[in-house]
Amino acid sequence: MGEPYPKLTAHDLTRTFGRGPRAVDALGPLDLAVAPGEFACLVGPSGCGKSTLLRIAAGLLRPSTGTLEIHTSSVRPAAMIFQDYGIYDWKTVQANVRFGLDVGRVPRREANARAAEWLARMGLADFAHAYPAALSGGMRQRVAIARALAVEPELLLMDEPFAALDAQLRTILQDELLEITQALRTTTLFITHSLEEAIVLGDRVFVMSARPGRIIAEHRPPFPRPRTGDVRATPEFTALKSELWDLLRKEAVPA
Amino acid sequence: MTTIAPETRGPALVRRPGPHELHPVRTHRRRRALELSLAAAVPLLLVLLWQLAAVRGWIDERVYPAPSTILADGWDRAAAGDLWPDVWATLKRVLAGYAVGTAAGYLLGLLMGSLPLVRAALEPLLDALYVVPKLALLPVFLNMFGLGEGPQVALVAATVFFFVWISTMSAVMAVPDGHRDAGRVFGASPWQMFRHVLLPASLPAVLVGARIAAGVAVLVIVASEQIAATDGLGHLIFDSRALFQNDVMFIGIVCVAALGVLFSELVRFAGRLLTPWAPRDRGRGQA
Repeated sequence: MGEPYPKLTAHDLTRTFGRGPRAVDALGPLDLAVAPGEFACLVGPSGCGKSTLLRIAAGLLRPSTGTLEIHTSSVRPAAMIFQDYGIYDWKTVQANVRFGLDVGRVPRREANARAAEWLARMGLADFAHAYPAALSGGMRQRVAIARALAVEPELLLMDEPFAALDAQLRTILQDELLEITQALRTTTLFITHSLEEAIVLGDRVFVMSARPGRIIAEHRPPFPRPRTGDVRATPEFTALKSELWDLLRKEAVPA
Repeated sequence: MTTIAPETRGPALVRRPGPHELHPVRTHRRRRALELSLAAAVPLLLVLLWQLAAVRGWIDERVYPAPSTILADGWDRAAAGDLWPDVWATLKRVLAGYAVGTAAGYLLGLLMGSLPLVRAALEPLLDALYVVPKLALLPVFLNMFGLGEGPQVALVAATVFFFVWISTMSAVMAVPDGHRDAGRVFGASPWQMFRHVLLPASLPAVLVGARIAAGVAVLVIVASEQIAATDGLGHLIFDSRALFQNDVMFIGIVCVAALGVLFSELVRFAGRLLTPWAPRDRGRGQA
């Protein structure tokens, strides 16, 4: 234990949906500790409760048993990036990025400045006054990332943020996210279907079992920080990917 | 455009741009002009046919006066100021009833859409009231408010209320959970959730309800003025029929039609201004 306290600790966490004979165990029991500044990736088959875990961390859902603890003094330490529906069609790009700040009652002048800074950083400055309907999928997701980071969260939760994008765009956005998160060192919980995404981005990669989701393996991709998307071409990358895929395949195929 | 090009290597299909691709602006302008002239020509043709039938004596001109007679008579009455008191009386009732009904329907729809307990408490009751023809409530309103403007305004308000209530409630319930989740994660208070998420997300559907209600408001006020009013366009129509002034009756009908179209177009226009993100306005107002 190099770090004093983990930023996020899940202990014996479970979640059940429904009740009586039709109850479904969606998650756990699950134990997890994420260090401050760590980028943790969770990979698992569909319906394994990955999103449930994230929603519990975000405070959108309560666990059925167990606890999830976030080491913070803030009431609202987390920002979340959704797969879709996240950004609002009725707000301009700038107003979307400013949303978290508006809700947090940051003065308009400062909020505009911070939003503008993030728009510039995400290459969206020219689209500040456009509505999201005029943007491509990749740009919409950049808006979502800017909106989440503009509130300077202590904990960043990402729920398959790139799942709706095409393969080329995913790679590009993965590289962009890699650059940003390595600069910010925000503690991140990142959920994905894609092993490649998890290995490129993560300090640690957790593999989850089929429902009810438990953690069945944990790996540290052997690439020092700061790294770039070039690690995809290394033999270690391919080796780790096939090792994790062997684990995941057993879970993804229904027994 | 597809043609067979005679090539030495044998026949080939060639796809080339058509007029719409070659001259996009001109083609679009012509198309718009055609649509507009069709929209104007069809009613105009029907009026001309009516005029012809009246002049030729195919229809009884005492019962169905010629459009030229109606127009001339309407012009005289408007110039003499005979028409405006009735138009104004109807307009006042519609606007007052519409304002009250929209506000009440929107508030209750919002509450019932976002709070399941309020919905459980009020939905069966309102569903039952919804199916009562609102005109049947006019006697009740007459008893409650006496003669005068009260019952007319109340009737319009009651009619408009149900349209706006139902469309607001279903629109609020249809806001995707993802939109609410994003607001909750950022810590939006109930008021912020309303202002930033529920209000704009439900607004397009609410405006559709409001526009339908605008048309129905005019419809209902005319019916109720025929029953229980001493002025207004509904009264004018019914009264002039009783006096066998069929041209005045038609003037009233034309006024009602114009009023209804104007009112619902006004609501539609306001809706466009209020929802600039809606796809139909894409490309406008953006750099």
